[in-house]
Amino acid sequence: MSHAVSTHNAVAPIKGVYRHLDCIVEGIAALKKAGFRPNMTVLSPFPRHELEDLMYEGEPSPVRWFTLVGGLFGATMAFSLASITHANWPMILPGGKPVVSIPAFTVITFEGTILWGSLLTFVAMMIFSGLPARNLPKAVEDPRFSNDCFGIVLQGLSAADAARARSILHHSGAIEVSGGEEGGHHGA
Amino acid sequence: MADLTYSSVNRDVIKPLFNPGLAYVATIVVTLAVMGWGGYCWYYQLIWGLGTAGYHPPVFWGVYITTFVFWIGIGHAGTLISAVLFLMRSRWRTGIYRAAEAMTIFAVMTAALFPAIHVGRAWQAYWLFPYPNQRQLWQNFKSPLMWDVFAVSTYFTVSTVFFFIGLVPDMAAVRDSTRGLTQKIYTIMSLGWRGTDQQWRHYMAAYGFFAALATPLVLSVHSVVSWDFAMAHTPGWHSTLFPPYFVAGAIFSGCAMVITLMLPLSKLFSLEAYIHTWHFEHLAKLCIFTGGILTLAYGTEYYIAWYSDNIYEWGTFTDRVVGKYWWVFAIMVLCNCISPLFWYFKALRTNMVGLMVISILINIGMWFERYNIIASALAHNFDPGSWVYYTPTWVEMGIMAGSFAWFFLWFLLFVKIMPSVAIAEIKESIRPPLKSEEAAAK
Repeated sequence: MSHAVSTHNAVAPIKGVYRHLDCIVEGIAALKKAGFRPNMTVLSPFPRHELEDLMYEGEPSPVRWFTLVGGLFGATMAFSLASITHANWPMILPGGKPVVSIPAFTVITFEGTILWGSLLTFVAMMIFSGLPARNLPKAVEDPRFSNDCFGIVLQGLSAADAARARSILHHSGAIEVSGGEEGGHHGA
Repeated sequence: MADLTYSSVNRDVIKPLFNPGLAYVATIVVTLAVMGWGGYCWYYQLIWGLGTAGYHPPVFWGVYITTFVFWIGIGHAGTLISAVLFLMRSRWRTGIYRAAEAMTIFAVMTAALFPAIHVGRAWQAYWLFPYPNQRQLWQNFKSPLMWDVFAVSTYFTVSTVFFFIGLVPDMAAVRDSTRGLTQKIYTIMSLGWRGTDQQWRHYMAAYGFFAALATPLVLSVHSVVSWDFAMAHTPGWHSTLFPPYFVAGAIFSGCAMVITLMLPLSKLFSLEAYIHTWHFEHLAKLCIFTGGILTLAYGTEYYIAWYSDNIYEWGTFTDRVVGKYWWVFAIMVLCNCISPLFWYFKALRTNMVGLMVISILINIGMWFERYNIIASALAHNFDPGSWVYYTPTWVEMGIMAGSFAWFFLWFLLFVKIMPSVAIAEIKESIRPPLKSEEAAAK
């Protein structure tokens, strides 16, 4: 059963460092059960489906909508560019071939679809991932998280919740637990 | 992968960066010298005009278009390995895809020089792109040359973004292994990446979409390039066979170039634990397969030319074998059809010398294939009175040599600035440490 987490008088962010995948999986599950999901950031040097599944429970990324919209926009724009250009500047029409030709403009339309689909996918990834990242808490800036360790950072906890969270991190097998001192602030 | 650990991957892949040895600097100097010579040749052509390029009616496409198609073809393997094999979940792509992607981008950058060089007035190359202008001059979107501009520029943009996205987590790993100014530079290049769950979630979704979007590009770009030829009714060009024939040839030459580049890379930078015989063997098998498609296409072309009963078509094809360009045809067949067959012997496809020699032969053969298609068809057109024998001039050969130096220079810079092997993806393929297993082992 989950508990409500108080963010009143938040302490400094808490960081748990893990070496073992099964330990961090256990830690995330326990913290979620204790109601800490909104306060958690999980860090890993590479993607692991176990971690994503635990954190997001199969909810797909909204990036896909941007890909779709980008593709549709690109297709429309490219076909329109070719069609309007030829309609405004009609060339000699040998053999009565059409001014707006679907087969001839298919290549341009295809390229527009791929180009804009990709560009909007990139933009969406940057926006949703918060890149370029500037406002992340200092606690996530640990070189071990790009090397050989996993991590959990908890922010915005009250002193009582911080003690509970630290205990869960310890019990799940974190090799190091730091932070949680009183007088901390958001984004420290 | 059995002996690898997460930290050893960081250490091994980041170690070759930054400290250039004497041999590296010497190689850079040689490439700069050759590039300088190519630059001088281009300058000479700009001053004296396209007459210095050996063009003579009716041959106005020669070494420049040959080399353009060659480099576009080389650029195919990177996206094939990074996108197509990613979607197929092929494990053997992991060690080699980063350098193959870099090769793709540099190859397309090299190819992109040639339309500008070829048209002569390079400063007007921007006319190729649609932009509002007071003269009401607009592109002809029904021209395959215009399709090619869109296809190549889209391919370059998508490949570059795909490459850049793949690099971001690894740049963060380099950032965390460096200090001072270097660290600041890599902090910017990594975009402040920290590997949070939110970042990985959207990153992986975007990466999958990029792979899905880039996959049809692999097939489309060289198909569009082939239409530069096939849409014209020049004998020897006007064929519906061209798109699959060109795509197979592009993958064939691209994979051979990956072997040519990666073999020395893995040895010189001690990356054998990540790029090893297993990878090269798969690439060699891919070359055998695509080389087989290419051989079938060569045969089918001749069959169609004969069966069509078109004297111009058949005339061009027979001239390629017994005419003045017989030696070009012979090099093409020996290098592209015969040499990959030696890789049926496991000893040759698992041996450094066997891999290197045959991959270079394939690269040579693929350049001559494009020369065979372009020069011999134009030089032996409909009217016997216009038949000529086109040979490249020193200016064209100088610019072509310069283009190779330009390509290698970018690749050399890449291997010293960016991780040549994908750190995060290699880690994905390592069995993660589990406390439960360690406890059971005790």
